[in-house]
Amino acid sequence: MGDIRQSLLPRDVLSAAKELLYHLDIYICNLVQSGRQPPQVDSKTLELVEEFILHAPKDRNTPARRMSALQELQLLEIMCSCFQEQSRDAVRQLMFAALFNLQGNQADESRMALLGKLVSMAIAVSRVPILECAATWLQRTHRVYCVRLAQVLVDDYCSMVPGSVPTLQNIHSASPRFCCQFITAVTTLYDFTSEELTPPLELLQMIVSWIQDDPRLVLITFLNSPISGSQPITSLDVTPLGGLVRWCIKAPLVYRRDKKQALTNGSSENEPEVGPLFSALHLSVLQVLMLLPTILNEKGLFGRLALLQMESLAALTSDLSRLLDQADKHTHTSSADTLALSQLALDRLAQALQVAMASGALLCSREDLRAICSRLPHNNLLQLVLSGPVMYYNNIHTPPLAYSPHAAHSPIAPHPTLPALPTHRAHTPHAPLAPHPSSHPQYPAQPFMTGMPFPFRPSH
Amino acid sequence: MHGVTADSEKYRMSAQKDCEFLVKRARELVSDDPCAAKAWLITARTLYPADFNIQYEMYIIERNAEKTASAGRLLYDMFINFPDQPIVWREISVITAALRSDSQDKQAQFLRGLFETLPGRVQCEMLLKATEQCFNTLEKAEMLLLLLKRFPESVVQHGVNLGETLLEAEASENLETPVNCFRKLFVCDVLPLVINNMDMRLPASLMQKYMLKAAEFYIGYVTRGPSPDGQIQGSQEGGALKSPSVSRASQRYVIDGLTEKSSLVAEPWERLLDILAVVGARCEWQGDKGQRSYMDMLQRVKELCRYLPGLEGETRARCCSQVVICAALVLFRSAFFYVSAVQPALFQGISGLSSGPWILVEDLSSVYSDVEVERGALKHAHKKRKLADGREKTMSSDDEEGLGKGRGRHIVVNKNDMPNWSETLESFRTARESWDLLHSHDGLEAEFKKICAAWKTDSWLWFRIFLTDMIIYQGQYRKALSSLHQMAAVQQPQPGPQSPSGQASLEHHRALIQQASCHYALGEYRMACEKLLEVVSGLVPPNQEPPKTPEDQVRVKPKTRKGNDLRLLPCTSKSVLPFCLQLMLACFKLRAFTDSRDDLSLGHVVVLLQYDWPQGEMLFLKAVDKICQQGSFQYENFFNYVTNIDMLEEFAYLRTPEGGRIQLELLPNQGMLIKNPSPALGVELNTLLLQGVQTMDRHHTVTRGITKGVKEDFRLAMERQVSRCGENLLAVLHRFCINEKIIIIQSLP
Repeated sequence: MGDIRQSLLPRDVLSAAKELLYHLDIYICNLVQSGRQPPQVDSKTLELVEEFILHAPKDRNTPARRMSALQELQLLEIMCSCFQEQSRDAVRQLMFAALFNLQGNQADESRMALLGKLVSMAIAVSRVPILECAATWLQRTHRVYCVRLAQVLVDDYCSMVPGSVPTLQNIHSASPRFCCQFITAVTTLYDFTSEELTPPLELLQMIVSWIQDDPRLVLITFLNSPISGSQPITSLDVTPLGGLVRWCIKAPLVYRRDKKQALTNGSSENEPEVGPLFSALHLSVLQVLMLLPTILNEKGLFGRLALLQMESLAALTSDLSRLLDQADKHTHTSSADTLALSQLALDRLAQALQVAMASGALLCSREDLRAICSRLPHNNLLQLVLSGPVMYYNNIHTPPLAYSPHAAHSPIAPHPTLPALPTHRAHTPHAPLAPHPSSHPQYPAQPFMTGMPFPFRPSH
Repeated sequence: MHGVTADSEKYRMSAQKDCEFLVKRARELVSDDPCAAKAWLITARTLYPADFNIQYEMYIIERNAEKTASAGRLLYDMFINFPDQPIVWREISVITAALRSDSQDKQAQFLRGLFETLPGRVQCEMLLKATEQCFNTLEKAEMLLLLLKRFPESVVQHGVNLGETLLEAEASENLETPVNCFRKLFVCDVLPLVINNMDMRLPASLMQKYMLKAAEFYIGYVTRGPSPDGQIQGSQEGGALKSPSVSRASQRYVIDGLTEKSSLVAEPWERLLDILAVVGARCEWQGDKGQRSYMDMLQRVKELCRYLPGLEGETRARCCSQVVICAALVLFRSAFFYVSAVQPALFQGISGLSSGPWILVEDLSSVYSDVEVERGALKHAHKKRKLADGREKTMSSDDEEGLGKGRGRHIVVNKNDMPNWSETLESFRTARESWDLLHSHDGLEAEFKKICAAWKTDSWLWFRIFLTDMIIYQGQYRKALSSLHQMAAVQQPQPGPQSPSGQASLEHHRALIQQASCHYALGEYRMACEKLLEVVSGLVPPNQEPPKTPEDQVRVKPKTRKGNDLRLLPCTSKSVLPFCLQLMLACFKLRAFTDSRDDLSLGHVVVLLQYDWPQGEMLFLKAVDKICQQGSFQYENFFNYVTNIDMLEEFAYLRTPEGGRIQLELLPNQGMLIKNPSPALGVELNTLLLQGVQTMDRHHTVTRGITKGVKEDFRLAMERQVSRCGENLLAVLHRFCINEKIIIIQSLP
């Protein structure tokens, strides 16, 4: 290695970086070919990357080499074509990791800066291999850095250059995995706590259209990752579902606040209404949740993997409770409009909780739900969801088992294009005629509240 | 126990209230925010998955938004989970109705698209259940047919039953024609599915029964008459428009109970051949599997026929069926093609070709040839006929003679008038061959007669026309005459708009002309002329004599044929009148030139020879010879009907010393011999005579008496005639036929 450094030192910055990339490519190819498990890039090489590509100062004595903007652009181009030309995915992934995996040192800042520029460029010129590597990076890296990368991309495409949104739109077809991770990062970033942390309208529109076109997009990372819970705890959620649920529930209250501000500022009259966007997004989220039972069953994860965490929902309900309090305080005379928007938020919460629970995305009892929702104001649907459905025995509507798609003697095979709904029903413990509802192992967390007399029936 | 029921009833009510609340909220939201409405319903469904109303509401939202895929998915769910809900069934029946209809409206298309999104087995199940709930036979059949077409495996179970149900329905409805809705479904839709399903093994007898049902349908379809509606429409439009679309408009045809689209059967003969090929293969008929064409088929069964006498039992029966079915189909098809060329107006959709009707008659183009050449032949025919007449009691017809005579007769057609003449004659020949084949063997004939009886072919006018022409061709004129009499009786009351050209009445006279031709061929000249004159009296003579085409002149070259050729004569007054004149000439020619003296016949011959002059010049000279030999000639009608300048000159010359001073009595009333049937007619004759000389010397003619010099009268008459030379000859001859009808008929034996 030492001799490589000696050969790189006399070169100018660009040709040294280029030479090192070339060297890295050969080195990783050999590494992969040697079959050593796991293939590990040695620390010397990582140091060379930091010195000659990221230009972190080697030590106090040597001044940091710097690249001009033009040289940096040339380097990015070289990196793009380098990933494009490498046909082996394993090599590409290792190389990307060697370049951009955070090392917890000084070089990480310039690493993030270069990564942001590279991914932004890859989006612009549609370099699928880089987007795929970036998707993996977004899965493995601490969420703080993921959110930073997302911020860079949103700034580049939604804020800095108007009219460049359609370019970003294309990542949906170029790399659905990257797109999915991007959505997760963005929903993590924008948590509606401040105006900066409210997604730009263009971004919102884009995400809604992506998910409406293909709801399964939301599940791509989950569908493609191994079952093992190998994800670092600090990384992004495996799906953007939690973030999207949070968006949809908070939106009615947050945008009401924004609207009030906009009115005081006297601007943005032509802003399109975000209400329908969130309504559509919320529906898409519910539809995605309805896809889950089949997928979870196929993976053998039904009842074992919670895609929505209780803790984050608890945080959401407490946020919501705070927002509702604020709303009440700000409007001295609680207007009908405010009331309606509050109820809309609560309706969505109730819907998300119920559907997530029924689809196995949320593993908890109704008792748990009542606990996290205890501080929320009254809402009919939420009451109904918290109490659960009324069960009774002589149910005339219950379908006879002969028509169940899962009955062995059924003349009709399960609908191939309809994975979620019938399956879900067959396994649902609500069906009172199912012989042993509790024998379904997928449902350990959902207690079967048979005929439970419930004091909170909605007052309808 | 009581307590438990009361509790569960309470819970049931409570659950129902929840569901009503959820659906109500969704309904409130759907117009302003459909997404929110759907979110409510998704939530509701996870709470109460067994509630029908929630799912129905979801379905209705998707259906109203015309979202095919999601509506289909929800309908599927409802169908699986709520199979007893009447609302679901109402919906399914609306969808299956859309499937059966050919309506192109948006709603029907959406419903069809929705059905297509369902998985096959659900479609199958739905159609079966919908069929069970259907009580109208036709609808039920159409529904089941949708099922069979989509799911070939269901053919095994339902195919034959459906077919039999349709045939039973047809029988019980007492429908008069095989072209009805039940048969159409059976033949065009069910049968191909049944016979092409290799998982089914049907007995040969059933296959053959079905085959004949199909054949009867397709033949009936092809030979269906123009529908009265179409005709009226066609003629109304015909007044205003001359475009080809008019004829197409009259082709519209609807089978009772079906839509116009499903009443249409494309390429019926090809479809029939397809069925025949499959049935043949499955009944293990001889010959290669795929029947390539009807002609190949005829050749094959012809060969097969040779082996027939050597076969026995099962094999023989199978062989017989093959020969009879194949030959019969070739016969009906070829006969149809022949008749559609000869009598196009009989059929729906063919009249557009506007090649009017044609009549198969004796060819008379050699009528102007010398008498001697053919006298021998005719005398012979005469003798033969006498022999046949003598045997009439035992033979009942002239079959034997006819068959001998019928071999290889030539049929003359004007190729310009009938562009498809060769196909037409070929069809005629093929049909006759098939007929002969079917009658070459008792066993075959018996089988064929069974088919004819079952199909009631006796009542097929078009087929009778073919049969009549065939027996004429075979020379069985007696038989042909009785057939023509029957046909005339059937055809007479045919209603229909009378076209201005008198075309309709001409068609009525078609049978008369054919009868005349037959009588002539039998040597019954008086009957022949009676029929002819009946026809002529209905004709309007053309205003102008048609200019002779070069083709006409070529045709007249004396032919060396034996004189028993046939001819397809266009049934137009332009062609019919000349034919009548020729036929009359042919009738009188023999009498006029016998050794005994018959001036009246000779005079008629001279009058008739004027037509197509100078074709008859040789015969005219022969007549002049005969007059010279007799030394005198008496024909009072001469100046009424002879306007030919050559003839007038010749007769004028005959009176001169150079011409032999022949004594000519050509003026009316000149002798007492004139047989004036009534005084009225006599006056009329005089008036007619005067037409050409109105101004010149009417006075003279009227006051002419026996005292005046005969010579002077003849000279004056001649002068008058010369001035009449420009008269329309056809009008003169038409007048001759009408005015002299009685004399003409009486002068024949």
